[in-house]
Parts: sequence; structure tokens; C-alpha cells
Amino acid sequence: MPSPDRRGDEPGADVPASGPALSSAPAIELRAVTRVYRDRPALGPVDLALPAGEFLTVVGPSGCGKSTLLSLVAGFAPPTAGTVLADGTPVTGPGPSRGVVFQQPRLFPWLSVAGNIGFGLRRLARAERAARVAELLAMTGLEGAAKLKPYELSGGMRQRAAIARALAPRPKVLLMDEPFGALDAFTRERMQEEIRELWRSTGVTVLFITHDVTEATTLGTRVIALAGPPGRITLDARVSEGLRDKVEAAIRDAASARAGVAS
Amino acid sequence: MNLALRLGAVLFLLAVWQVVAWLKIWPPVFVPEPLAVWDQLLRTSSEGYSGHTLAGHLLASLRRIVLGCLYGISGGVVLGLLIGVVPVLRTLLNPLVTFVRTLPPLAYLSLLVIWFGIGEEPKVWLLLLAALPPVAVATADAVRGVHEDYLNAARSLGARPWEIPYRVVLPSALPEIVTGVRVAVGVAYTTVVAAETVNGVPGIGGMVRDAQRYNQTDVVVLGIIVIGLSGLLIDYLLQTLDRRLVPWRGRHI
Repeated sequence: MPSPDRRGDEPGADVPASGPALSSAPAIELRAVTRVYRDRPALGPVDLALPAGEFLTVVGPSGCGKSTLLSLVAGFAPPTAGTVLADGTPVTGPGPSRGVVFQQPRLFPWLSVAGNIGFGLRRLARAERAARVAELLAMTGLEGAAKLKPYELSGGMRQRAAIARALAPRPKVLLMDEPFGALDAFTRERMQEEIRELWRSTGVTVLFITHDVTEATTLGTRVIALAGPPGRITLDARVSEGLRDKVEAAIRDAASARAGVAS
Repeated sequence: MNLALRLGAVLFLLAVWQVVAWLKIWPPVFVPEPLAVWDQLLRTSSEGYSGHTLAGHLLASLRRIVLGCLYGISGGVVLGLLIGVVPVLRTLLNPLVTFVRTLPPLAYLSLLVIWFGIGEEPKVWLLLLAALPPVAVATADAVRGVHEDYLNAARSLGARPWEIPYRVVLPSALPEIVTGVRVAVGVAYTTVVAAETVNGVPGIGGMVRDAQRYNQTDVVVLGIIVIGLSGLLIDYLLQTLDRRLVPWRGRHI
């Protein structure tokens, strides 16, 4: 959904009343969300609305609460305060509406690539499942690897299989936690192109976490910079020319602020 | 090359044994000649000993081992899964499992004989009790060690809570479980001879026991060799199983 004018940050402002397919709620919404680990505040308060179809990158220095943000949206951990909404419904746990790709591929080593991709398709009939798996293998360029086991794949292929597995149950949102951080530079660049292509072709909403400023500013349609802990949004911008410099400055400030606190 | 080395080592041992026997430092009732043992191998294989052939004794022992291990391993996996997943059960059962594990099986053989008599039951029970703790401990540790990303991945893919143990946790723990099984079979193997000291005929342990009573050292030595060799064979089979079952062992994924 290429709607170029989304500067108004109120998603519910003027939604067409007709068309049941168009939901008024953002794909993901965080309302005054905080998260405290034991006694240490890790995140928030954070407010964020992510309209469907957007490709949001979240960038910040390590330990700033990026991964906490993702695990709250995924439903792996409950917020200490505030509400996390997916499609207008409060998140109470993980679910197939929000696919997750981890830093490590975390493929199930006892299953083949096809078996991994089919893991979330248990409730489909056999033929349907096979068709969907074949579709994803083609989408991620893994046609020849269906029967291979994860340990027989290269790092890039593993992460592709992990993306295919996450996309298989047709999630509305794809959550990615520094998915290319462990790859070599060449593979990473190719994977970045591929994930953009997948985003375009599937229309899935993406929340992509990275500590790489270039990745953050080239990959998505919108960038938020996080500073912390506790993580707070210090910059929320649509990707445009000159944005990279701004983001770099924000990250520098966040890092030096932390260094100041630490010393 | 390896095979030649191993064969050489065996031949060397045999030679040392033969020389020691020839020198007659000790009487044959302490150190029988290799040939005497060989004769006993042929005789027990054809005529039998204590009313059963060598193969009959071995099969009886193997049957007990297989049964005891099957029960012990199944119980161990279930128990380990419960201990690993349910914190309350961990608190309750962990000390008990450790207690049983540290007991030498002979310590509770008498109790089992009182409970179950002198037939097959106490022997299979003894092997079960010997095989269960290593598997339970290995499974419990492995289950607790499953990286939470795998559990989270499965949940995100729509796996229901009750599906997680058998769809993710057990397969993840498989490498450690298989290692536990190898330990368990080893323990069961060392225990079977003890189990067969009470009414153990037919059975390799019973055969050895009878031979000891009549000072037939050659039969005792034969029994020991047969136990050792069959143990080697079984461990080889388990290693093969390991490679087939967990080909990803030791590989970073």
C-alpha cells in the first residue's frame, strides 16, 4: 500500500468508512509501554503506532532496549505497564499473526528446510501445506534446498529459511531482531535486497531491529532511534535524503549520554 | 590401519596371557590357559552349561537388558521431561533420582527379591532402576537447557502449549538423551551380572556364578569375555543409532 502521505501520525484520523478489509487500527500499537527487568527499567515509556504495510527499522546502541521492544510486540514478555496492541487487540502472547526472525536462524535441526517452513502450517491440509512450502521455497530462492537439513546450509541460506518459516503462516507483521548481524558483509547486502523484495511482494508489515545505521536508513520506510536504557524513542522519521546524518547524530548523542551516565 | 592396531593389541594380550599360563606362576584355577577357555567356548556352545547353551545364557541376559532398558529409558525420558518442565516436580523428584542413582544396584537387589521373588521380575526391575536415573538426569538437564528462542519460535508459529514438549523440547534434547541412553545401557550391562547372582540361570551372570561355585575358572573367564564383547557390540550399535538420530550433534546451527 504505497500511500506517500502519512505525515499525520494519527492513524485513525481519516480512515475511509467503507471497505471491511481496511482496519482502522495500526498493525502494531504501543501505548505508554514500559518494561522493567527485576529492578532495572529496560524500556519506556514508549508510544508507537505502526500502520499496516510499513517497514520500520529500530536502531540504537546495544543494550538500549531494542530487543525488549521486539519481545513485547512478539508477546514473549508482557509489558510492566501500558498496552501492546496488534491489529487493535491486546497482545497476550506469541501468535502466528506476528512472525519472528531471530538473530540466529534458530531452525529446528531435526527438520529439513521444508519441514521447518511447514512447522507453522500444521493446521493446513497436506496438499495445501506442500503448496505453501513450495511457494516460500521459491520466494526465498531455496528451491533446491527443500530436503537439506539446517546444518547443511550456509549462513545466508539458513537465515532465508528462517524468514521463509516466519512468513509461512502469513503473519500480518514480521518482527526481525538483527537478523543479518551474524552474516558476512556480502551476504548481508544481498539479504537486505531480498527482504525489501519480500516486503514489497507480500505487503507484510516489518519491524526490523538493527544497530547498523546504514541498514536502518536504507532498508525501511521509517526509522526510530532508541536511546537507553530505559529505551525511549529519540527520533521518529520517515526515510528521506539526509536522514542518515540525522540518525547518526541521534545515535552519537545517545551513546555519549550513556557513556556520561556510566562514568 | 586402526583395525590392524587393534588386532595387534588383542593378539599381544592373548600372548601375554598364554605366557603367564605356561609359566604356571599361578595354578590353572587362578589363570586358565587361553586354549582351555576356547575349549569351554566350543563345549558350552554345543553341550551347554548348567542346562543351557552359551547362546541361551547370552540371550536370556540380553532379553533382561533389553526389557530393563526399554522400561528404564521410557520412564527416564518421561520423568526427565517432567522434572525439567515442572518446577515443583524438580524440587520433589530431583533428590530422589540422585539418591537412586548413587546407590549401587546390588544394594536394593535384596529388597527387589523380597518384593518380586526370584523369577524374571526382580532382575528386570533392577535393570530398570539402573537404567532410569542416567536417562532422567540427562533429559532433565537437556530440557532445561533448550534455548528459549526455539520455544518462542514455535509459539510464534502457532504451536499450542501442549505441543511444545514433543514438537520442540524433546527433539531439542535428543542429543543429550541419546548420550544418557548410552550411559544407561552401560550401567544396565554392568548390573545384569549382579542381577543374575540370585537364580540367574539361564543368564551369563548365572553361568559365571555357577562356574565360580565349582571353581571352573575357564568358564568364568569365558563368561567375562562374552559379556565384554557383547557390550562392545551393543555400544557400537548405539553409536550408529546416535549418528542416525542426531546427525546435527556438535554442529553449530
